[in-house]
Amino acid sequence: MKYVLLAVAAVATLAAAVLLGPADVPLRDVLGSPIVWQLRLPRAVLAFLVGGALGVSGVALQALVRNPLADPFLLGLSGGAGLGAVAAIALDLPGPWALPLAAFVGAVSAMALVYRLGLMGGAELDPRILLLGGVAVGAFAAAITTAIVSLAEATELRNAFLWLWGGFSGASWTTVLVILVYAPLPLAVLAAAARPLDLLALGEEPAQYLGADVRRLKRLVYLAASLLTAAAVAVAGVIGFVGLIVPHLCRLVWGRLHRALFPTAFLVGGTLLAAADTLARTVVAPRELPVGIVTALLGVPVFAFLLRRWTVS
Amino acid sequence: MRRWAHRTHLAGLLMLAAVAACRRAERAAPPHSLAVTDDAGRRVALTAPAQRVVSLLPSFTELLFAIGAGDRLVGRTAWCDYPPEALRVPSVGDGMPPNVEAVAARHPDLVVLYRSGPNITAAEQLERLGIKTVLLDLNRLEDLGPAARRLGVLTGRVASADSLAGAMDSLASQPPAPGSQSLVFIVWDNPAIVIGAGSYLDRLAALSGARNVFHDIGSPSAQVSIETIAARDPDFVAVLSDSAVPPRYARRPEWRAVRAVRARRFLFLPGQLFGRPGPRVAEAVRELRRRLDQAP
Repeated sequence: MKYVLLAVAAVATLAAAVLLGPADVPLRDVLGSPIVWQLRLPRAVLAFLVGGALGVSGVALQALVRNPLADPFLLGLSGGAGLGAVAAIALDLPGPWALPLAAFVGAVSAMALVYRLGLMGGAELDPRILLLGGVAVGAFAAAITTAIVSLAEATELRNAFLWLWGGFSGASWTTVLVILVYAPLPLAVLAAAARPLDLLALGEEPAQYLGADVRRLKRLVYLAASLLTAAAVAVAGVIGFVGLIVPHLCRLVWGRLHRALFPTAFLVGGTLLAAADTLARTVVAPRELPVGIVTALLGVPVFAFLLRRWTVS
Repeated sequence: MRRWAHRTHLAGLLMLAAVAACRRAERAAPPHSLAVTDDAGRRVALTAPAQRVVSLLPSFTELLFAIGAGDRLVGRTAWCDYPPEALRVPSVGDGMPPNVEAVAARHPDLVVLYRSGPNITAAEQLERLGIKTVLLDLNRLEDLGPAARRLGVLTGRVASADSLAGAMDSLASQPPAPGSQSLVFIVWDNPAIVIGAGSYLDRLAALSGARNVFHDIGSPSAQVSIETIAARDPDFVAVLSDSAVPPRYARRPEWRAVRAVRARRFLFLPGQLFGRPGPRVAEAVRELRRRLDQAP
């Protein structure tokens, strides 16, 4: 029943995303309208895929660091992506893909640095080291970013921050295709890790006794979740709260087993972000809101509600 | 956040100092003819017409030259590239925010600043060094006349400033020119940012006989979706650019939903003439009209 409701919500959200928009497209023309085919549909699909990726990545990272506050962007990824994007604009790199590619490279570099820190001195991705390393690398990247922005002359740099705040303005079938080709591998890695991740929730030593290769598991999950998030940043900027809220929401409804959490987090995340983007496009038309603002406005009350439930129980 | 709090605290201290300075100035009031009220609500009074002026905005530099006070300039920003004589004036940096030391090193008796948060702080710092400052708005066509008049008073070029201001004011009060063409000003592509009604460029388009399709948005600029641009279907996409190379996003698939992008109907507007309000606004209107007429 819960799954049926979720599927209905997902389909209804995607339908609304395609039917609603600032341009007036009569219902009978929807299937033939270039506005729908070139703009609304790829945008809705991309928002859904990115939301799903962030939801899954959030579940995986929260399980990995065993911290309910973990967010896909916590481990330095957003800082790295911002540095990459600003550097691309400051260096005036050519080509329509320069900005997303540079953001991706920045995010992956930051991730690699945190990963390296996490392995230092045999720490074996200790959650505390990962979280602290993520904060440190993120702050370092942000400092360099601010230095570039304040020293460079291009006024366009301010717009790099707008881009970074997240949004699906740049959605096209090409971006959808990029995600569709890229995402299955990390998603498959995470799906295969569902059972061992359940064991990891018991603690590293018990998980090891119960037959999980904890060392390998942590490395694989970390890399897969981070690469998934890096791709989301590259096509949509930093969209907060989806990766933080969705895992909590799903655990509340579907329990703690990752076999159920991964698929539901994908669908809930996708539905949420597609709905948020539809709101962003329509509520202040003809203007548009950055989608990150909508996810925060929706996400914070939900989060406050969850916090209350925790403190009560 | 902490840095901001620190800054506002500093600004508060400076403001106190400025208030004290103002009180002292009021006691020995100079002749009324050399005093103006600036757009920050401050009374700016000089004992003699300014002889050493630093301009911290390209528009002010242009205005000063246009009213015949260009020879008084002893400092300008790195962006002040018109008229060509301006390039002979020493630069004091990019002016965002002003380098107060570099400005003071020019020993000016008047510094003209655009009214903005960091500039108000800089003006207070300069006043503490005993340098007179004037903070002026310059965002819209309507701001040009009042700015020119006050610069005329402070530099003793009242007659030529008044005639320039009169021309600016009459242009500002003109109704939109008739015309059937429409355009959109796209200043950034991802997310798409367009120019709205509260802007200089919107008025420029109207005076040229072209309708800005986002005239219904009150603010100077706004984020919109590509879908909205496609639905408004402008005849032209106006781009502030010194070269006639189509912007990068023109090649991206999602932008092809906009007819004017698909048909490559771009108007390339050089930033020196169109990027800022200035005394050459009539020239900018003529130039935009010419480009609209020449377009296929």
